[in-house]
Amino acid sequence: MNYGPNYSHLHNLDNTYREFVQFDVFAYPVPEGKSGQQVVDSLQRQVELLGAVKSGNFSVDCETYQSNLQNDMIFLTFSPQRLVHILHNTEQPATCFSILDTGTCLMADVMFEIFMNKLTHSKSAFYQQRKGFKIESKGQRYELGDFFIKIGSVSLMSNFKGILVEVEYCPCVILNDCWNLLKEFMQSFMGNIVEAPPPYLKNKADTPYAPSDTVHQYLEHFNNFRKTVPIGQPSR
Amino acid sequence: MALNFMDVFYRAYLGEPPNDALSKSMANSVVTQAIQGGIAPYQEYLLQGSIVDTSRDVLLHRLQGLCDNAEGMPQKFQDHEMVFMMRGNTPQQIISFRVRHSLHQRQNWVLRYTGQTEIGDKNRQTLVRTCCDVATSDNVVQFLNEMGFRLDNEFIAKGFFFHKGRMRVTVSKIYKILQHDNLDNLEQLTMSHLVELSVVAPVGQEQIGEDMKAFAEQLKPLVQLDKIDHRRLQTF
Repeated sequence: MNYGPNYSHLHNLDNTYREFVQFDVFAYPVPEGKSGQQVVDSLQRQVELLGAVKSGNFSVDCETYQSNLQNDMIFLTFSPQRLVHILHNTEQPATCFSILDTGTCLMADVMFEIFMNKLTHSKSAFYQQRKGFKIESKGQRYELGDFFIKIGSVSLMSNFKGILVEVEYCPCVILNDCWNLLKEFMQSFMGNIVEAPPPYLKNKADTPYAPSDTVHQYLEHFNNFRKTVPIGQPSR
Repeated sequence: MALNFMDVFYRAYLGEPPNDALSKSMANSVVTQAIQGGIAPYQEYLLQGSIVDTSRDVLLHRLQGLCDNAEGMPQKFQDHEMVFMMRGNTPQQIISFRVRHSLHQRQNWVLRYTGQTEIGDKNRQTLVRTCCDVATSDNVVQFLNEMGFRLDNEFIAKGFFFHKGRMRVTVSKIYKILQHDNLDNLEQLTMSHLVELSVVAPVGQEQIGEDMKAFAEQLKPLVQLDKIDHRRLQTF
């Protein structure tokens, strides 16, 4: 597992993107997904103008499992249903992050999936995979000095849902010590969307940042994306 | 070819034949890639025996001569093993995971799943069971509890570790924990040490059994390593 210095901030561009889409969809009917690509392209151009260098691709994916209600006897002391989110991040390729709906995050070797398969596919089937919940963010990874920038398109079961931008500042692990620097950097290519740190990090602003904090942020955004209606289909 | 491999995997790990829906849901998972790459699933080949405490040192000397790490003192270990169970509504619905925590290197936590032990026919030299070990972060106990697992039993194993090639030999004593939160208040279960010879390897390497049997022969008459039928033990 990689526990190196790691600072990252996720910013959700969903709202901006939707403005684009509404404009595009209503004024110029273009195929769904293309407009998302245009936003990604313009962000990539902005970042390249700053001097960032491409350094491969990245992806963060998430699958969700839920406890089987047939076996709810064991869950009497808890909420009626447990959710387990299994996330992978190409930045930590040998690690599997499992986040419960209670917030507990277990970091394990990537073979942890065999345990989840055992829980879902054995005779007892204590957990089951939620259908249609596989979501991922993938795209281009950039490096610019001490910064890593990742511009990802989010897709839920191959439907385009929005864009997530992750910025990582490597020399610092305490949010409060580098937030202003990060903010200024991000505003240089994303504009004034970036004002305050993400809510998840508010209580952690003075504690060392860890890779699990990154996947927590992705999960929050993924959960928001899952709630939204597919983009590009105008509400009637 | 790949499909046959999937068959083997599902029977070994998931206990039910594959069908299209399952295969599709597994199509791109890391586990599938691991199976195709021959990384998973693993099988553990196991021989067990015991030796009375008074003869332990003679066996340790013999092992020091036979094994690879001959120089210096034999490597010691002290592990806290916790067995977690999840039960369903019927007695058949049960699954257990084991957590091993090294008390010497306290950052080491391993989550282990072992399948049903296969005795096989007389020609097979060792017990064979599927097994999967993953290193995890230190909150694995909290994670399992929140998932719905309950602690079933726990013990402390103190002993010595040897290796010869990929064979692993442990000579350890099992202790009962008298107070749940005090790992120093222990009581020995028997007046003897458990001796285990094991190899973890990918499926289909039956040759290992022969090597292990040959090694076990060299430990006679100090210790008789054999296939121990765990199901028969449980009826005592």
